[in-house]
Order: sequence, then C-alpha cells, then structure tokens
Amino acid sequence: MSLSGRAAVVGIGATEFSKESGRSELRLAVEACLAAIRDAGLAPSDVDGLVTYTADTSSEIAVQRELGIPGLRFFSRVDYGGGAACGTVAHAAMAVATGQADAVVCYRAFNERSGHRFGQAARSGRADSTGLEFSWHLPYGFATPAAWVAMHARRYMHEYGATGEDFGRVAVAMRRHAATNPKAWFHGRPITLADHQASRWIVDPLRLLDCCQESDGGVALVVTSVERARDLPHPPAVVTAAAQGTGPDQMMMFGFYSGDLASLPAMGRVGAALWRQSGLTPADIRTAILYDHFTPFVLMQLEELGFCGRGEATDFVRDGGIELGGRLPVNPHGGQLGEAYIHGMNGIAEAVRQIRGTAVNQVDGVGHVLVTAGTGVPTSGLVLSALR
Amino acid sequence: MTTTQEAAAEPSVHDRLTEAARRLAAAGERPGQPCPDPVNAAMIRNWTQALGDTGDWSRFAPPAMIQVWSMPGLVSERGGSAADEVLRMLDDHGYTGVVATNCEQTYDRYVRVGEHLRPAMRFGGLTGPKRTAMGEGYFVTWYQTWYGEDGRRVAEMLFRVLKFRPRGRRRAQNAPVMRPVTSPDTAFFWEGAKAGELRIQRCADCGMLRHPPGPMCPSCHSLERDHVVASGRGRVHSYVVHHHPPVPGRTPPFVVAVVELEEGVRVVGNVLRCDPGEVTVGMPVRVVFENVDDELTLPQWIPADAPDDEPPCDPGEPALLEIPLTPTFVIATALATRDFNPVHHDTALARAQGTKDIFLNILTTMGLVQRAALAAAPGATLGGIAVRLGVPAYAGDTLRLYAERVDATTLKVRGAVSLGDHVTATVKLKEGV
Repeated sequence: MSLSGRAAVVGIGATEFSKESGRSELRLAVEACLAAIRDAGLAPSDVDGLVTYTADTSSEIAVQRELGIPGLRFFSRVDYGGGAACGTVAHAAMAVATGQADAVVCYRAFNERSGHRFGQAARSGRADSTGLEFSWHLPYGFATPAAWVAMHARRYMHEYGATGEDFGRVAVAMRRHAATNPKAWFHGRPITLADHQASRWIVDPLRLLDCCQESDGGVALVVTSVERARDLPHPPAVVTAAAQGTGPDQMMMFGFYSGDLASLPAMGRVGAALWRQSGLTPADIRTAILYDHFTPFVLMQLEELGFCGRGEATDFVRDGGIELGGRLPVNPHGGQLGEAYIHGMNGIAEAVRQIRGTAVNQVDGVGHVLVTAGTGVPTSGLVLSALR
Repeated sequence: MTTTQEAAAEPSVHDRLTEAARRLAAAGERPGQPCPDPVNAAMIRNWTQALGDTGDWSRFAPPAMIQVWSMPGLVSERGGSAADEVLRMLDDHGYTGVVATNCEQTYDRYVRVGEHLRPAMRFGGLTGPKRTAMGEGYFVTWYQTWYGEDGRRVAEMLFRVLKFRPRGRRRAQNAPVMRPVTSPDTAFFWEGAKAGELRIQRCADCGMLRHPPGPMCPSCHSLERDHVVASGRGRVHSYVVHHHPPVPGRTPPFVVAVVELEEGVRVVGNVLRCDPGEVTVGMPVRVVFENVDDELTLPQWIPADAPDDEPPCDPGEPALLEIPLTPTFVIATALATRDFNPVHHDTALARAQGTKDIFLNILTTMGLVQRAALAAAPGATLGGIAVRLGVPAYAGDTLRLYAERVDATTLKVRGAVSLGDHVTATVKLKEGV
C-alpha cells in the first residue's frame, strides 16, 4: 500500500506576515486554521485531526477549543524545527489514507520576530539528549542556526570552489520573486548581487542577506481524502509523495562529526523517497519550493534532489537559473528570504496555489511541485500534484 | 547608499593619518621637556627600595630607570609625546582604546649620579589599520632619546601603542560562557578536560573511537566503553567566523572550527591565539585547555606552530623572582618611577576606567625585567631591554619572573601573572660599563 494519490491539500489559510503581529500565537494559529477550513469549504466541526510542530506553542487541544471542534480522532506533532513542515502533511495524509481521520488541519503560528527569535544565541540547559547535543557547541559560542549552517557552507566552498556570490544569487532570486508578491514582507524591494556583497557579516561566510528574515504570522493547511476533495471548491493538490528523513549520525543541527559537510544526507534520503513514491524525476518538476532559511542550503538541496550533480548548483543558479523564467523557478512567492519565515508552512501554501493556478507569480504548466522542509535538521518533503 | 559613503570616507581618514605620520616623521627629532633633576641618589634609593632591588647603584643609576629622569611628576601640564597629533586624530575617529604593546630601551652607557640628562623625542611610525584581538586599530611608535652633557646619546627608548576602535555590543561578552549539561555518558570527557586531557570514547569491545560519546557502540552494540587520550593534534576541517548576534562568553569576531583529530574523530572548538583571517581549512592545530573556572575547562585549539603560553620551565619549579603585587608594591613603585597616573594608585578611579584594579606601570615592569636579568647574570652590564607587553599585572596577583640564557649576550625574561604573560623580554648583555 502506497500513500501516493490518497490524500490532498484542499484548503490553505494564513494571517498577514509582519514583524509584530500584536496578538497571541494561539490567536494567530486559530485565525490561520479558520481561514484554511473556510477555504476548503468546510466547517470546524468537519475537522477531526490536528497536526503541528513540536516547536509550536499552541497545543492541538487549545486550537480545538478555540475553533469549537467537538472532538479529535487524530493529533500528532513533528519535531526538529522547520524540518517538520512537510512532515505535518505527511502525518495528516497517513491519517486520512488509513481512515484514522477524515479532515486534518496542519498549522504553524508564531511571533518569531516580536517574541522568541530563533536567530539569537540558543541557551539550552535541558538535561535531555538534545541538551547534550547542544552542550558540545554552546560553550564555544557556537549557538546560532546561521553559525551551524555556515560551517557546512565553508566546507562546500572548499570542496567545490563556491563563492559568496554563488550564495548571493539565491538571495537575489528570492527577493526578485518577493518584489512582485503583495503578501511578501519584501514586496517591491528587490536586491542586486552588489547589495548582497555589501551586506554585513553575520557568521562568515554568511552575510546578512544570506539569512532569511524573521517574521510573525501563521499558516494552516487542510488535508482530506482525494475522493472527498473532488466535491470541494478548489482544485486539490494531491499528495503524490510525502517523506521524512534523517541521515547517518544525525543530530539536531550539528551534523559535523562524520561524513561530508558539503552535503545534506537527510535531504538526499527524503528526495530518493519522493522520486520513488511518485515515479517522477526532476525533469517532471516545473517549479520547486526549497526551504531557504540560508542560501547555501538551497544550492545543496538542488544537488541532493538530483536537479544537478554534486558541486554543480553554482552553475545551476547562474544566469537566473532558479528565477521566474529560468530552468527551475524556485520559490515563486519569494521564499522565506523574501515572503516570510513561517517555518516552511508558507511554502507549502504556495505549492498549493501553483497547483491551483492562482499564485501571484504563477508558473506555466505546473503539474507537480516539489516542496522541502528545513535542512541541516531531520527533514521532510512533498510532491504535490494536480488531479489527473 | 551609506555603504558607498563609508567606503569613500574610510580611505580619507587613513590618508589623513598617513599624511600626518609622514609629516611628523619628516620633522625629525625635537627637544623634550627638560629633566626636573639631575641623576641623584635619593631617587635611586626610592626606586631600589620600592622595586626590591638590592644591587649596588652608588655610582651609576639602574639602566631601566632611564625614563624616570624625564618624567614630569605630579603636574597638570603633561610633557606629551612626539605622536600626540596622530594619537588625537585616532581618538577623533573612534580609535579611542589604547594599550601599550612594546617598550624597547637601548643603553649606550650607564648614567652617573650627578649627570644632567637632556631628553629629545621623535615620531617613529604608524601602521594599520589592522584587525587585532582588541578590535581594528593602528600601531603608533615613537622614540625618546637621552643625551649626556657631552652631547652624546646615552640611551634611547622605542614605545609602541595600539590605538583601537573598541567593539560595540559588549552586552553578551560579559555574560558567562554557556555551560554544558553532562550525563553519565559524557562526564568523562569534561573531567578529562579539567585534568588537561582530550578524552575520546573507545568501545571496549570493538575499539571504535567515537565523538561525541554515547552509551552504546553504534557499530557492535557493546555497552562497555573506555577512552583514549588524544594526541591533541588535528586539522581544521571547516570553520566559521562569528560576528553577530552577541553570544554569551565570547567576543566577536571569533572562530569556531570542526577539527579532525589525527585519531580520525572530529571535535568542535574555538581557534584561539590567531587572527580569524589566518584560519584556513586544513590548517594544523593543537589542543590547549581553557580554564573557564573551577568547574569548567574547555578543550580549545591554537595553530600548531603557535608558542605555548605555559611556563618554559616546569610549573613546579620555582620562579627566579616571585613578587606578590600588594597594593603597596604597585603604588610605591609607580610613585618611585614618578608615574602619577591614578590607574596605578587609585583603586576606585582605576575601576571606573574599566580595569579590574590598580595595576603595575610599565616603568616598573622594565625595572623588574632588569632585576630578573641581573639575578640570572650577576655582574653583567645591560645593553638593552626590549619588552612585549601582555596582560595587566593587577594588585592582588603574583608576578613570577623566569629567565633563560639564549646565548652569551642574550637573555629571555618572562613575567607571568594569573591571567597569563604580563611581559616577555629580550635582554642584551655587554662587557664593561
């Protein structure tokens, strides 16, 4: 039994994306959930499953209470930061496909800019296994996601001769896309490669413009069966493949101790599963949503997913390769570098819009969209497709 | 575009500094403030008593006293140096921090009691901007020269300071280093660090080395483990230079590296005692141990060819001179060298200026290096003392001086306090007075 083609995303909802929402994270969560449920043509009483990130501060039962959902049959959480994004849909699809739930809402909402900021120095005093992982790094001031990613980026530069400008081309592409997306924080504000090169160091080799923004906001998705989706108002985004993955010797975000730092083995595993489940190849993908918390990992994802060979992503992104009109437009909404950082959930919503044909920067002839979640951590991915 | 303006403005500050330095250098030597007194027995006695020098200085003044003769004393009008104009320009452009780095005295001959000395000064040079551990800065060098009544030079002194741009955002710097949590599976590593060992877990059954450690061997699933002590040698496998945001316990920019040990496992740590710009992938490094406090020691990394900060002799071996830096010692020596800067005698004022306590002045450091040199080479005549200044020697600490003969005319003298090396000096010896 395969998960492929059993479930679909039928509703999407979001709050505005801002730097200070002025309201609670629970309120953002339920605003996004209600919008997604209504977009799906359903009522809260139709919902019997909820899935969110382990990192989310609003529990499934709190969201259930606010929405007045009579009761849940299925609830689960997915761990490891932004690596959870596509995993929430994977869990929801599995629940729907196995009859554990009929309609599952996946949500992520936070005040990541005005509240707890992930980019600041981590301070884990937890005496659990994760706290032990942090303990090999925090005493050295090695305490931010930018620094952890920069360690891989340096090795990638060393192995393949990549430069800061190669990273910069990713940022330029994302900001170009965001510039024409009215919902994007950086709407109307494109950048040049010179702007990128002039931006200050955060953790050398990463500059400010290599790092995604910080945002307040919430996004929710409704997942139900493909059969039921046929009766709902919007064209469904069918879950053709869904996978989670870790690499060998996996840690939270500290994959420095074995293997090749210039690679993302967890994403390689997810990619292989997505191609296997879907029966597709990279040539079948017209547009991809690649998790862009930091520019170097977009390059490495292109390689792990087979869009190009090892060390070839620098050539792939040259001459607008990942921009609208390029060989593989990546993140037409502007990604987390340009639209908003909602932990990858806003990217899944964009994939649904591309399938529906309603995206603001719509790519022509989209049949399948590949979506990835946070990298450097245990991760996940999806292939969403138009109903045939 | 502010960045463009800044880029255009930076060379002009640098150009103006360079121009002023060129002009001062071209101006050559000029007279200094006249010495208030001739070389005299009373000041020599104050000096030898304060510094604990028991040598016979009845005919000649101790050579390291040379600068004392031209110190202005407790007066509002300071003598000033040949570099004042450049130092002021640096202040005006944000290079407000100052730390003395070098003091090199050359003695043509010892001066006699009763002599009148005539001081002169000249500008030496300006180099920079340089990235330093303190921040971006310029090194400024100037000279003082002393002439005898016959018009011939008796001594010269080079003095060099680093004028630096103090780093902003000191907020996190003062916060303590973040502490590791430990478990029964990891405690051996941290205990090892305290004992000065870099311990790597080894499977007691299949022998696989593993870092970070864990309870079960992922290869043979044995629960039996011990450890090996790593050689401490490795290479930088990858590294980053952290600039932002502030993190507790570290002052940016600092380097974090993944080090691949010669034993084959990788360890994360900081690369210390090295300009961040000099770190490369593949660079050989070796372990040192950063003693954070009584509870925590961190294995850290330095370039493989970096000198050891450890004493050249066994720490158990007694120092040549061991000087308890009582407040009386710090104050008495400052005044005996006619140095009335309050950071050497007024604790409250010293603390208000951001230092931990009152600290030893440089004229005294020079005198103590002389003491150590003559203790190591009794009866020798000194031709010069060149010192590199390190960490401050605060009241309450102990200064331990070590001397090592390099060759017939050269001694190395090192003075260490609890914070590290306070002074490293090269002393030149010659025959006859």
